Amino acid sequence: MAARLERLPFGVGHTSGRWKLWMAVLAAIAILGWYGWYLELSRGMIVTGLRNIGPMGGATWGMDVAFIVYFVGVSFAGITVAALVRLADVKALRPIARMAEALTVVSLVLAVFAIMYDLGQPLRGIVNLFRYARPQSPFFGTFTLVISGYLFASLVYLYLGGRRDAARCAEVPGRLQRFYQLWAAGYGDTREEQERRSRASFWLAIAIVPLLVVAHSTLGFVFGLQVGRPGWYSALQAPSFVLLAGVSGIGMLIVIAAVVRRTVAGTDRLDDGVFRWLGNALMILLLAYLYFMVVELLTSIYTGAEREREVTEALLSGRYAPIYWAAVALLVIPLAFLIMRYFRRGAGLTTLVASGVMVNLSAMAKRFLIVVPSQTHGTLLPYQPGSYTPTWVEWAEMAGLIAFGALLLAVFAKLFPIMPVEGSES
Amino acid sequence: MPRYGMVIDLDRCTGCRACMESCKVENNTPEATFWMYVFRFEEGEYPDTRVRFMPRPCMHCDNAPCVKVCPVGARYKREDGLVATDWERCIGCRYCEVACPYGVNTFNWTHPEEQYYLGWEDGAPPWANPDLNEPYGDERRRIAGGGRDEGVIEKCTFCVQRVEQGLDPACVHGCPLKALVFGDLDDPESPPSRLLRKKEAFRLLEEVGTEPRVHYVGGGPPSENSKQIDAVEARV
Repeated sequence: MAARLERLPFGVGHTSGRWKLWMAVLAAIAILGWYGWYLELSRGMIVTGLRNIGPMGGATWGMDVAFIVYFVGVSFAGITVAALVRLADVKALRPIARMAEALTVVSLVLAVFAIMYDLGQPLRGIVNLFRYARPQSPFFGTFTLVISGYLFASLVYLYLGGRRDAARCAEVPGRLQRFYQLWAAGYGDTREEQERRSRASFWLAIAIVPLLVVAHSTLGFVFGLQVGRPGWYSALQAPSFVLLAGVSGIGMLIVIAAVVRRTVAGTDRLDDGVFRWLGNALMILLLAYLYFMVVELLTSIYTGAEREREVTEALLSGRYAPIYWAAVALLVIPLAFLIMRYFRRGAGLTTLVASGVMVNLSAMAKRFLIVVPSQTHGTLLPYQPGSYTPTWVEWAEMAGLIAFGALLLAVFAKLFPIMPVEGSES
Repeated sequence: MPRYGMVIDLDRCTGCRACMESCKVENNTPEATFWMYVFRFEEGEYPDTRVRFMPRPCMHCDNAPCVKVCPVGARYKREDGLVATDWERCIGCRYCEVACPYGVNTFNWTHPEEQYYLGWEDGAPPWANPDLNEPYGDERRRIAGGGRDEGVIEKCTFCVQRVEQGLDPACVHGCPLKALVFGDLDDPESPPSRLLRKKEAFRLLEEVGTEPRVHYVGGGPPSENSKQIDAVEARV
């Protein structure tokens, strides 16, 4: 075993005044979001901008659903990185494996919240989704594979991967010692234990890779299988969900890794190599996603099926055009940045982090554009075009969730080494 | 067992919307909610224009997309052809609503007492129908209009509370021109079956494979230039 740790690494257990101030701000936003949910529970979903499709001219799925999809998409990062590190032995990604897994767990927790926000009867939902589960519904996959399976696998992976560091941190006296002892659960880092851990994580990674594709696809199927909604009904829906999940997940991981490098001491191992790898991965995923977008667009405007065209027109030049073209710009500009970085090695982090932020904003907008226009402009019977404008409650709920997620990650970073402790990577 | 269906004679419909009114009174639906809806179309270009009407109840599809997607089986197909909503089981995810190509589902966006024309808390409104709270069918599930719990979905029930007593749905009963005909489509001598033999029929959006149990005779389906006369906007 490596030398005993003198003190907890990466600022674990030490909180500065500035950190506390940040947490207070995030907590305030999160609480505002929960207040919005309280309003929704007490007064009904009438406090949202959602209304019925058809005669009432509204959209019945809105921001909540867009963000369910977005949060599940971001969870792509953790599992992918973990699997790449373990199966493809990508050494460059090793330092960010744990923060990626933490990001997965946190974003899935946020997705669960967003699902609860979206249900008219959340309590019944918790009971009935198990009691009367129907595998024929595309939602079944969302609840079993995405939320339960994915979340469970990520937690197990995070736990197993952290045992060695927990054992090392448990040597440092302090308030957190009991917690580390519990996590380490008697791990002694003998050769036999190392082998067993390595074997377990290998098989877990093997099991996780198909789950990665299937889980994001089932979420795409929620939309892609609906023949009655022009703009949704497409075989490309499932694969492009996987790709946009990758774009937003890797983009968010870049942002988080950059924040960690900037704010946490002793994180020099987050070097340009790590970011170059992430930047290139993002570039490839972006290229693939843009290709899918173009294919989808051509298909819907070429033949000009009436209702299909109406949805596309609403996107390209109608009501949703500002959001659509902003989303396109927020994909194309990062792609330009990333291609430039690819050819000019060692470029600064600024453009990369900006790319990460931009693709995430774009992913939120794209999720919104997948969910909403097909309801307001995609009715097969000649209802008049509807409209949907989110209310402040929905904005507050979603801002609250994002703040809550940031809070969870920041607290995790103070409870446990956000990166593998030096000397425990062999 | 009879398998119910409806035939709508567009030649007879004058767009008076008495069916919408009858439905509202029978099922006590909330404000801005219409289980039965009558399209009023303007077609063509001046001077070659015409106005026509098309009632749109729930299609009670045999291959109902809403039944398929419901994650908890609250929306289900009954043996007698009705597509029912168990409002005691519904969790309010509104998947049925986005899956339905006809736009027939409506959601209870707020508490019942806040969305009625008259106060619910001062006892039942004058037209309240106790039959709406009863369980129906062999399954004994609560599928008629019912308590209107906040946060659950509802839609046209073909007035299951009347059909099980051998009566016609309220819209059929209330139509002054007998444009709506209800009955057992498996029985060749039932009024809807006879009407289907007499006139050429079509069903709405047959191309999406939903197998609707509502048939139309007289006239044709709405086309690309069918524009609604009445403006709609999101309101509750």
